[in-house]
Amino acid sequence: MRTATPSADALGGRLEEIVGSDHVRSDAGALLTFSTDATPLERGHPDHVVFPATTAEVAEVLRVANERRIPVVPRGSGTNLSGGTVPHHGGIVLVLTRMNRLKEISVDDLVAVCEPGVRTIELAQAAAAERLLFPPDPGSQTTATLGGNVAECSGGLRALKYGITRDYVLGVEAVLATGEVIRSGGRLVKDVAGYDLSRLLCGSEGTLAVMTELTLRLLPAAEASGTGMAYFGDLADAARAVSRVLASGILPVTLEFLDQVCIGSVEDYAHIGLDTSAGALLIFGQDGDQHAIDNDMARMAEACQAEGATQVRIAGSPAEASEVLEARRAALPSLSRLEPLTLLEDATVPRSRIAEMVEYIQEVALRHELKIGTFGHAGDGNLHPTVVLDPADSDAVRRAHEAFAEIFGRAIEMGGTITGEHGVGMVKLKYMQRQHGAEYMALLRRIKAAFDPNGILNPGKLGS
Amino acid sequence: MTPQTSAQEPAAERRGIFTPELLDRCISCGFCLPACPTYSLTRDETSSPRGRINLMRAIETGELAEDDPTVVEESSFCLGCRACEPVCPAGVQYGALLEEWRDHLWQGKQRSPKLRPMLWAVDAPSRVRLMGVPRRHAKGAADGPDPGSASLMLGCFERVLYPRVSRSARELDPDLSVPSSQGCCGALHAHNGELERGNELARELGEALPGTIVTTSGGCSAHLASVLGRERVRELSEWLVEREEKPLEQPAAPRLRIGFQDSCHLRNGLGVWKEPRELIARIGEYVELPSAAACCGAAGTYAILRPEDSARVLDKHLDEIAEADLDVIAVVNPGCYRQLQQGIKRRKLRTKVLHLAELMAGVR
Repeated sequence: MRTATPSADALGGRLEEIVGSDHVRSDAGALLTFSTDATPLERGHPDHVVFPATTAEVAEVLRVANERRIPVVPRGSGTNLSGGTVPHHGGIVLVLTRMNRLKEISVDDLVAVCEPGVRTIELAQAAAAERLLFPPDPGSQTTATLGGNVAECSGGLRALKYGITRDYVLGVEAVLATGEVIRSGGRLVKDVAGYDLSRLLCGSEGTLAVMTELTLRLLPAAEASGTGMAYFGDLADAARAVSRVLASGILPVTLEFLDQVCIGSVEDYAHIGLDTSAGALLIFGQDGDQHAIDNDMARMAEACQAEGATQVRIAGSPAEASEVLEARRAALPSLSRLEPLTLLEDATVPRSRIAEMVEYIQEVALRHELKIGTFGHAGDGNLHPTVVLDPADSDAVRRAHEAFAEIFGRAIEMGGTITGEHGVGMVKLKYMQRQHGAEYMALLRRIKAAFDPNGILNPGKLGS
Repeated sequence: MTPQTSAQEPAAERRGIFTPELLDRCISCGFCLPACPTYSLTRDETSSPRGRINLMRAIETGELAEDDPTVVEESSFCLGCRACEPVCPAGVQYGALLEEWRDHLWQGKQRSPKLRPMLWAVDAPSRVRLMGVPRRHAKGAADGPDPGSASLMLGCFERVLYPRVSRSARELDPDLSVPSSQGCCGALHAHNGELERGNELARELGEALPGTIVTTSGGCSAHLASVLGRERVRELSEWLVEREEKPLEQPAAPRLRIGFQDSCHLRNGLGVWKEPRELIARIGEYVELPSAAACCGAAGTYAILRPEDSARVLDKHLDEIAEADLDVIAVVNPGCYRQLQQGIKRRKLRTKVLHLAELMAGVR
C-alpha cells in the first residue's frame, strides 16, 4: 500500500515509537484524506499523518523531523480556507485533535486554559455555562479547533465590538521547530516582560511553532442580546446603512450582510423564511443590558430605514435570532448549492469604504462575466466575495483568479488588506509583497529562521 | 492558486461508480465532522464524512483502487446514520453516496459473509411471512369507514422480534389495515450493497400495501419514502400527530420519566423528530438525553457486522440513560430497540426499552 522510500519507512517506525503505532497513519487512503483542507483546488501529498497526545510527543516528533529536514504541517479540523494546512511539500501532517482537553475555566481570573484540539464551540459553551463569553466566533466554530483559530487569528461575527482571536490570547505553550518548549504570557492582562511572542504566534499559520496549550481571555457574558434584519434593494444601500449606523455612535455586536445570491442559497438550506426577492440583507445586533439593547436596536432600525430599507424586523426570540445568525454562518457552504466550485476571498477595507468596495466587486463580476455572491462582516469592512462556478469551466476559473487579483489590488489601494481573517496560506502568498513591500517580507524570513532554522514548519507559506 | 496542485482538474476520467451531481456537491467545508459518530470516536479525518467523500472521489477517478484497504474499511466503518446531512449547508446527500459506494464495493469477496443469510431471509415476501409464524403480530383488514386508505407495514425482523409493536400500532389506530402478503421494504438491501434489489422490494411493498403506508420503523420509512415518494409514507408518530382528533388523557399513575432515541434515518432522512417527543410529553415526563439525536450504533446491520464498534458508539447513550435514571427509553425503530435492550441488559440498568407504539398503547 505504501509507496514511500525506505528512509521514509524508517521515519514511520520512529514516529510510531513516539506516539504509538495506532497514532501514525501512512496508508494511501489516510494520506489522501489529509492532503486537503477546506480550500478549493489546493492539494498536497503527505508521507505520514501523526496524532500526538502530549506536548512531549509533539516536541519529539519535531526533533526527529528537524534532524531529518522533514516538513511538518500542524493541523486541527482542517477548516482552513487559504490552503494553510495543505502539505504542499509532503512530509508529516501533525494532527492535534487528540489534544482536546479543556483544562480549566477560571471565573476568578477570567481565563480558559486548554489544549489546541478543543473545538471553539466547546469552549464557548463551557464558558457560557459559567456566564462567561469567549467572543471569537468564526463561521466554522462548530468544527474548527482553537489551535487552528489562534494559528490563523480567526475573526468572526462579533469582531466589530469584541475584536478577534488575537485579542483573547493571553498565553501560549509552544514547541519550536527544533523541539524546545517555550511558554509566553499567561493568566495576566498586563505582562510586558519581553517580546509578545503569544501575539506573534497568533496568526503565524503554523510556520513558527506548534502551539500545545492556550491561555485564553474570557469576558463576563452580556445579560441579553437582540438581533434584527433589514432588507434593501441592493448591497450598496445596505453598505451605506452600515456607515450610518457606525457614524451614529453605536458599536453593534453584529453587522453582517448578504447579497441576493447569498440570501437565496442560505434560504434554500435553512428554510427560515428569508425574503429571497430582496437585493440585500443586513443583520444587526447588540448585546448588553436590555435597556441599552432596546435603545440601540431602535436607532439601528432607524438608520436602515433612512438608507431605504424595504423591510426591517427585530427577532422576537433568542431562538429566532440564533436561527438567523446560524444561517449567516452557513453562507459560504450554502453557495455551493449553485455550482460545485466556490472560490472565496477575504479582502477587507476600512469600514468607511465598504459601499465603494461592494460596488467595485459588482463591477468586476460583470466585467469578467462571473457569478459572485458577496457576504461578510460589514461592520469591520471584511468582505467575502465568492465566485460560484463549474470546475470544468477552466476559463471561468482563470477569470475568477483575474477578478480576485483586481479585487486585492483595489483593497490594498483603499488601505485595506488581502485577507481579513482567512489567512495568507498558500493562496495569497503572492499578493503579500504587494501589500507589505520587500523589506517587510525579508524581515518575516529572518523571524521565521529564528524559530525554525531549517524551515521544516509549514514550508512554502509565511516566512518562506 | 497554483495549477499543479489542483484537486478538481476536469481532466480526471470518471468511472461511473457515483452519480456526478451527488459526488460534486461537497465543498469540503468540514461542517459535518462534529456530527459524525465515527469521527467523534477517532478524531481522524479519514473516518469523517468529508474524508470518506474524498475516498469516494479517489476511487471514482482511479487515484485509489476500490479495494484499497482503507477504502474498504471506511465503507464499512461508516454507520450510515446520515447525521452529516442535516448539518451540511451544501446539501450533500451522503446517504445516497454511501448506498452507491457499497453497491459497487460490497460484491464478491468484499461482501461480509454475515450479510448473506440476513438479506436472503428478507428477500422474498413468503420467507418474511414464514418468519412471522406463529403470527403474533397485528393482522386483519381495517374496521374503519374507509378501508384501504392506510396500511400498516409489519416490517421483517420487527414482526418476529417485537410483534407487540404492530399490535399496539393497530390498537392506537384501528383504521389501519394489515395486508398479510407484505414482505420486506428493502432498506437492508439498499444499505448493504444491493441498491437495485432494495428499490425493487420497496416498489413491491408499495403495491402490496394500498394507500398511505404507516410504518413503525424509522429506517424503513426513510427507504420507502426515497423510492415511493414522501407522500406515500408516514412513520407512526407523524401519522398519529397528524390524525389526532382527541388528545390523549393523562395517565392516573405517577408520570414516568421517559427518554427517546431518535431513529437516524427518520430524523436525518425525513426530518421527523418533533412528533415522537410531542407524543411522549403528553403521557409522561419527557427527558431529552444529550445524545438522543445521535446514532445508537444499531445502524441496520452494523451491530451484527461490527459488534465492537457498535458497542463503542452505544456506550455514551447507556451512560446518559443511567445518569438520567429513566423509567423508559422509547424507540421508533426495531434496530434501536434491540441495541438498547441488549446494552441495558449488559449494564443491568433499570430502564425499560419500549417502542413508542407500545408505550402509547400501554398508557392508553
